[in-house]
Amino acid sequence: MSENTTVIERAVTTTDPALLSRYWIGAAGLGLFLSIGVGFLAALERLDLSTASIFDGADVIFQLWSAHRVGLVLLAVLPLILGLATAVVPRQVGASSLVFPRMAAAGFWVWLFGAAITVTGFAVDGGVGAPGATSQTQAVAITLVGIMMVLLGIGATTICVLTTVVAGRSSGMSLGDVPAFSWSMLVAGTMWMLTLPVLMGNLLLVYVDLRGRSAVRFGAEEAIWEQLSWAFTNPQVYLWALPLLGIVADIIPVSVKAKLNTNRMFGAICLLGFVGFGAYAQTYFDLGTPVRQEAFSVVAAFVAVLAMLMALGALAGSLRNGAKETDASSATPLVLAMLSLLLLLVGTVVGALNAVESLDLAGTSAIGAQMIFTLAAMLVGMVAGLSWWGDLVAGRATPQRPLLITGLLLTLGLGLVGVADLINGFNGLNDFTGAVLSEAGNSGSAVDTLNLIVVIGLGMALVGALNGMISGCQHLRSSEPAVANPWGGTTLEWSDNEGSA
Amino acid sequence: MLTKGTKFWLALCLAAMVAAAFAGYTTGGDETGPLTLGWKGAVGNHIVYGTLMMMSAATGLLAMLASAFRDADADAVAQLLETEDAPDAQIKTGPSVWPVIGAAGFAVMMLGLVLHPAVFVAGLLIVVAMGIEWTMTNWSEKLTGDPVRNREMRENLLRPIEIPLLSLVGIGVLVLAVSRILLASSVNGAVIVATVVGVGIFALAFFVSTRPTLPRALLQGVLALGFVAIIVGGIVAAANGEREFHQKGGTSNDTLVETDH
Repeated sequence: MSENTTVIERAVTTTDPALLSRYWIGAAGLGLFLSIGVGFLAALERLDLSTASIFDGADVIFQLWSAHRVGLVLLAVLPLILGLATAVVPRQVGASSLVFPRMAAAGFWVWLFGAAITVTGFAVDGGVGAPGATSQTQAVAITLVGIMMVLLGIGATTICVLTTVVAGRSSGMSLGDVPAFSWSMLVAGTMWMLTLPVLMGNLLLVYVDLRGRSAVRFGAEEAIWEQLSWAFTNPQVYLWALPLLGIVADIIPVSVKAKLNTNRMFGAICLLGFVGFGAYAQTYFDLGTPVRQEAFSVVAAFVAVLAMLMALGALAGSLRNGAKETDASSATPLVLAMLSLLLLLVGTVVGALNAVESLDLAGTSAIGAQMIFTLAAMLVGMVAGLSWWGDLVAGRATPQRPLLITGLLLTLGLGLVGVADLINGFNGLNDFTGAVLSEAGNSGSAVDTLNLIVVIGLGMALVGALNGMISGCQHLRSSEPAVANPWGGTTLEWSDNEGSA
Repeated sequence: MLTKGTKFWLALCLAAMVAAAFAGYTTGGDETGPLTLGWKGAVGNHIVYGTLMMMSAATGLLAMLASAFRDADADAVAQLLETEDAPDAQIKTGPSVWPVIGAAGFAVMMLGLVLHPAVFVAGLLIVVAMGIEWTMTNWSEKLTGDPVRNREMRENLLRPIEIPLLSLVGIGVLVLAVSRILLASSVNGAVIVATVVGVGIFALAFFVSTRPTLPRALLQGVLALGFVAIIVGGIVAAANGEREFHQKGGTSNDTLVETDH
């Protein structure tokens, strides 16, 4: 590219990981806002399930409900993680850039176009519900190809991040020496690459069923969501939140100036990664006992709690040894890291409760509560990560207060949603309340009040997401230069930060 | 000695294998089925068992690769290349327009799967063209040590092909998108849309011609936004379908009569 290129030319041709990282995070911020927004609309409808008067029936509510889940994972959480990883991982391992930088750029653009097609598909009466009732077959197909592109974009970028950790390390750094976030991306990336292709396979099966001739049908056309739902529930959601452990393991020990028991922490990340493998939990193919009630699923759900306790033990050791020297300037990332850990712990505990057959929580809103707690943990952890590495990502000093407000609003808002959904689950409220509306709500009971709490919680999270987007824009427009090493970190990413602006 | 990466992926491999056997035995597998990959007996829940065994196989392969290449440690690579200094972790790669064009072509291709075979073929052509361009760019970057000279050689070879081809593709996509919008609009609406868009383009061209010093970035931005708007409009219109066309008289030879929705 010649020297006299325009801003637009530079923008669309870049292979700079810092700029790509900003693209990912900016687009994911918008995805988060939209996802929480449609969740908010669906929650509004839940306030009066007997009439479902706002959005014209169960099918539309289902579209909003499923768009909320698909959007949260594929258009918000995963892109946010990849955005942070794109900027931070190469620096942590001492690489000059991501390995395969053009592929990383292609990954982002494929994801972006895919996200636009997915959103368009949902908007024009498509989505992932069975076509025919109110949705159109063609629009559903558009949604499916959009999601496929999103997965391809995420997969391509994940390969770049993984390869950077494996083959881009500087001389003298063995794989066991990489910082915790890079290690968590290695484990998470490996597991994503083992599960995303399975989800792609499900989508292809559904697509062929939807568009193919009758001779090649697999009977999945009427059960699209059932084919895809495993990716948005226990245990797969742990994989979407796995990098959180790496983020907090990089933040907490440096904040309190103490060493981390890396073996225990890396082991906990591996263990949670292994039990988070959810591609087997395909309820669509259940023939006898539901897969989530099989011994393997139940054991995995409880091992996830053990993995979390193992991680907390490693971090508690750091806190115990270094708490007296805590630097007040790192309060924002430290507080948010603690909150995100708490949310993830609650998520794993709720996941274990869901696996207890006698509690009869299968199919209730407790399933959604587990997803919300886990994804909320990752979102708050991401805000903590941006507060920690914001100078690297944006090349400017990171304002901490707006990020703290964003993190607190997300914690409180999504925490309220999780708690209300969990209690609703114990009250027997269905996970998806649109199937038989007249039977779904218990009018006049505590469910109504709890549904109101869900609306309030999602409203707070929506404000939090908006605040995050606005503060992100202000951050990028700020002229205050980045601080070379604001936290006194000893890992490689802090060694060459000067002049990154 | 086993490297860290080998240990990690080997542990995943073994854990997945044990998990598969456990899942097999607890979901109705018989004594030997889960241990023999179903060769001698039932493996229980096929989806659970099969998925976990595939995970085991994939991570086993990764463990072998990590072991063979010593986790790709820079020092190990240097030893393999018999050099004293470790090689550069990465060769610097410059900006490239092909990722975004390839992604756009891929998006057109995927939409074509749903909308029309012609759109799919158009997308496929863009992706193939991008593949050629990307390859040629990589080839040219290794020709000499001078990036400027490399770029010139690449442009001399490919510009006579690129410019007419890109023009054709751009026109084709625009025509297709605009035609979808017009077909989805009502009879009068289509006339209004065509008139407004036509006058708008004419007015914009007139405005630009009177201001030769207009910033290039601004012009590019306006054109890019307009292009994206038309593409998105075309996609939405195609998804909504065409307006109804009724046949006068009911036979295939009769005149088509258009009606509004």
